[in-house]
Amino acid sequence: MEQQLIDFLMHTFPDAQSITIEGLEPIPGGYSRETFRFDAAVRWPDRSERVAFILRKDPPPQVSILTTSRAVEHDLIEAVREHTSVPVSKSYGHVMDASVFGEPAMVLERAHGSGATSDLFNGGPDADQADDVVRHLCEAMVELHTADLTKLNPSDALSDPRGVGIDTSSWDAYMDSTFEYYINAYPSLAYDPSTVILLDAALTMRRNKPRPLSLALVHGDFNPANFLYHDGRVTALIDWENSRIGDPREDLGWMTTMDVISNTDVMSHPRDEGGFLAYYNKLTGWNITPEELDYFNLFGTLNIAVPVNAAVARRLANEHQTFLHLYLLQPSCAALPSLAAMLNYPGVTA
Amino acid sequence: MNTQPSIDDLLAGIIIAISDEIIPNLANAKAYATASMMQSVLQEIRQLVPVYETYLVDEHNDMTRVLRETAAVLGSPTGAEATRIHERAATLGQRADLPTPLDPAVLASAHRELGTALVDTIVDLDVLQRAGQASADAALDIVRAHLGPRYVRDAQTIVAGSGMLGRG
Repeated sequence: MEQQLIDFLMHTFPDAQSITIEGLEPIPGGYSRETFRFDAAVRWPDRSERVAFILRKDPPPQVSILTTSRAVEHDLIEAVREHTSVPVSKSYGHVMDASVFGEPAMVLERAHGSGATSDLFNGGPDADQADDVVRHLCEAMVELHTADLTKLNPSDALSDPRGVGIDTSSWDAYMDSTFEYYINAYPSLAYDPSTVILLDAALTMRRNKPRPLSLALVHGDFNPANFLYHDGRVTALIDWENSRIGDPREDLGWMTTMDVISNTDVMSHPRDEGGFLAYYNKLTGWNITPEELDYFNLFGTLNIAVPVNAAVARRLANEHQTFLHLYLLQPSCAALPSLAAMLNYPGVTA
Repeated sequence: MNTQPSIDDLLAGIIIAISDEIIPNLANAKAYATASMMQSVLQEIRQLVPVYETYLVDEHNDMTRVLRETAAVLGSPTGAEATRIHERAATLGQRADLPTPLDPAVLASAHRELGTALVDTIVDLDVLQRAGQASADAALDIVRAHLGPRYVRDAQTIVAGSGMLGRG
């Protein structure tokens, strides 16, 4: 793979005289993309530079959990960099030809900063930075959610990136078409009748829609593991593969869920502003309520649960034999009691 | 509790993963041998699970007969040993037979049939709720009150640790 990376970077840096790849190694973790870190020593006629990179590569299609496009992710990242001040790593490009890296891939700048965000909370070594980092995180999220969609989504590729019939012509159309997607997808993910809670959740949310809010670009996996920080500032929001047009409350709801699962405390900061939601409301004036967050907590859970359980179902139907998908039964099973609590199932407490 | 994947599905998946995802990456001959032995033991468990309880019950019930018949064939010689054999026949040998466990496949099929009926019920209740049938809300709660504790018990039974290994 090193030669392919050199070829890619020689195309990216056409004036370079030579490029060598160092320290290429996989980054463990994550259920969707295969990620590698590497450094490139680039020599130009007048200087040399060592550049830190990330290679994000799709898994084989049959084992893919979330089918997304590296080209769309690249275009989005570059649009965010160009039109906002939201911190994000530069994308150097994508290679959709699977013959190059084995599967479609993209190459990103490896941003500086710590990804050990748990250090910010629970008395961790960077707890003194928590308020400043989360304040910046909230401001970045507000900027993302209020950014001009004609700039960030010029080709409309983010309106229905999964190709499942999502209609973003209005908030109601978006919500209704998303429920149709969840409900129609149910037979393909129902490997066992016990998965019925996912169907119940979709039907229940469809019966109880909250007030509308302007659609926005949502990060799609806004959680405590998807930002880097340094010296009281967010240095990069990472992992944009599930980004799309949606309701901005989806990001807040998902962060609320993952904050609990991750044993972090993002939502309680910045403390002087009364926490993340209060500060977000102060900046946007949207007055999002905790009840609305609960609703979109559920909504976001389904957004992930549908493709994850469909992937599990494909494994159980022996479409492939990758082990990860059998293990995914555990996180899926672990999430069901909290899902039941969110739906107010009698006898289940949060 | 899920009927799919079955315990056998999970064990078969681990055996395949050892072959496909572990063994090709092992450089150490002892580790290769251990991985192969793990596969063999997992296959042993696959063979044991479907018959284990049935065989135990079958053997339990036959051992009571053996204790009774042994004493009967022995007759009435004197001595402590013979007395103990007759005591065993009169006590343990008189135990009632244990019931034969249900065939796991039959149990799973029956469970799945009712589970599917609950899915269909939730779909029908949704139509009634959207039509404004107030009693459908209470009816849905009956279904949810059954499912909720099941999800809690399943999570306690199935999930090891946080169940989040590998997410990073």
